[in-house]
Amino acid sequence: MAVTTAPVRPSEPGRRPDAGRRAGLDRALPWLLLLPAAITLGLVSVYPIYAGVHASLTTYLYGRPVAGAGLKNYTDTWHDPVFWQAMEVTLKFVLIAVTVETVLGLGLALLVANVVRGARWIRMSILAPMTVAPVVVGVIWRLIYESETGFVNPMFTSLGLGAPNVLSHEGSAFFGLVLVDVWEWTPLLFLICLAGLQSIPQEPLEAAAVDGAGPVRLFFNHTLPLLLPVLAVGVVLRLIDAVGTFDQIFVLTRGGPGTATQLISIYAYNTAFNFTDYGHGAAMLIALLAFAFLLVLVALSLMRRAAKRVAQ
Amino acid sequence: MNRAGRYARWAAIALVIVGSLFPFLWMLSVSLKRQVDIFGGPSLPKQPTLSNYTALFTQYHFGAYLVNSILIVGASVLASLLIGTPAAYALARFRLPRGLNGQALFAALLVRMVPPILLVVPFYIILAKFGLLNTRLGLILLYTGINTSFVIWIMQSFLAEIPTDIEDAALVDGDSRLSALRRIILPLASSGLAATAIFAVITTYNDFLIALTMTSTPAAQTVPVGISTLIGKIQVEWGPMAAGGIIGALPILIFAFIVQRHFVRGMTLGAVK
Repeated sequence: MAVTTAPVRPSEPGRRPDAGRRAGLDRALPWLLLLPAAITLGLVSVYPIYAGVHASLTTYLYGRPVAGAGLKNYTDTWHDPVFWQAMEVTLKFVLIAVTVETVLGLGLALLVANVVRGARWIRMSILAPMTVAPVVVGVIWRLIYESETGFVNPMFTSLGLGAPNVLSHEGSAFFGLVLVDVWEWTPLLFLICLAGLQSIPQEPLEAAAVDGAGPVRLFFNHTLPLLLPVLAVGVVLRLIDAVGTFDQIFVLTRGGPGTATQLISIYAYNTAFNFTDYGHGAAMLIALLAFAFLLVLVALSLMRRAAKRVAQ
Repeated sequence: MNRAGRYARWAAIALVIVGSLFPFLWMLSVSLKRQVDIFGGPSLPKQPTLSNYTALFTQYHFGAYLVNSILIVGASVLASLLIGTPAAYALARFRLPRGLNGQALFAALLVRMVPPILLVVPFYIILAKFGLLNTRLGLILLYTGINTSFVIWIMQSFLAEIPTDIEDAALVDGDSRLSALRRIILPLASSGLAATAIFAVITTYNDFLIALTMTSTPAAQTVPVGISTLIGKIQVEWGPMAAGGIIGALPILIFAFIVQRHFVRGMTLGAVK
């Protein structure tokens, strides 16, 4: 993610009578162009973050701030077993889903990379799931999983198996949601890998192939190392997004059955908006933010180490 | 690749496409079924009907949801383009002191990367303070801010690709910076602008969480929130829900098809071109 900046050209004074005034305007121009954006971003990011931290340090009763809480919301959260359970579900969900998506996405990209005929339609069909609203994704899978009206139960019974009632059992509901996430977001990793593959220079590959390297060795020795930086971007983006997964779960299970699919996002939402306890909700979300950053740091350092090892 | 390998590859691709598209077709099929057929097991609609779609508009306020979505998405995307593009230009063309370019871009990226769930509590508290809960204006303000960070980040990468020579020539010819921006740069960046606008439209139209928490009646609720209201605690309106899903998905699929070439770039915040 290199930042490109053009060198500033020296202006040419003395060309026109108003050159001096124009040079002054030119010097102020970048700041004038930046100002509206700076104000907007301040209002919707800096101030909300301040308000969020403030809320996490406040005690709310029936949705109204009643007193300063110090760090009580945080210590409560730390001692809340439901919070840790939600943390565990979140971690399991994110790790399984993102790993599967990365492997599948890379495989798919390799499968499609050299296809020319119908490439546009193939790509469009594959990326359809990630373009539509997550709520729509939830609706689609509710229509598939649902016990009375769905698609899965009749399929199983027609094969002589018992109806699985995917969303009514803890284990199957969890993996059902992982499958939904994989269906929706594998396309993102696919697209990223495809773009990466297409930007890799072909000459070294051809040279190695002439030297007798098989496709597997070519992949691990040449393609993968060059792909890693791009793959890292994809994995990090996906990790951050997956940690905040909410819409699909809200539509499909609302965290149930029991707490089997209750991610932190759902638990914090319920705490803040169903129980109008904004203080505890905000504290949990700030903990979640720290967790997301930690995940990203770990992911980046793993990718870097992998890149180094492959390079050797 | 040998012949068997080629067949195997096409078979695998076909399988992936079926897996990807079948769930959509299932939803389409349910949306065209009569209530009795929905419970009749997996089959094609026996007597296809549009009654689920008409019910959305006569019973479930979908006209209002659509109007809200269009107004909110249109206003916030337009505002964020107007605010974000000049800033992107400044970051792409001028070297600011103290490495401010990099910091500003990083700040814009950070806002975009924070999952919306982290922002809803503070957003809610702020809107409540200004009496903007359950108003279109409140949602427009929030989305404008979120989209601005995205516009800055993406437009900066589009603008940086335009060679500076063209602009220099215009400046030598006596154009001011601003008129060079308007006459030369913006037309050259128009495809980038269009792609950015469409991405912003897609993400804003698709947003659920922010709209869900900030609104409570059809006066300001958007299409995704409207769809979720069909899922009651006790009863789910399957037919209308499927029809609502189709209405929610269709415009976005069309848009995504149009900007397909730029899609990776938008989805990866410009990190991959």
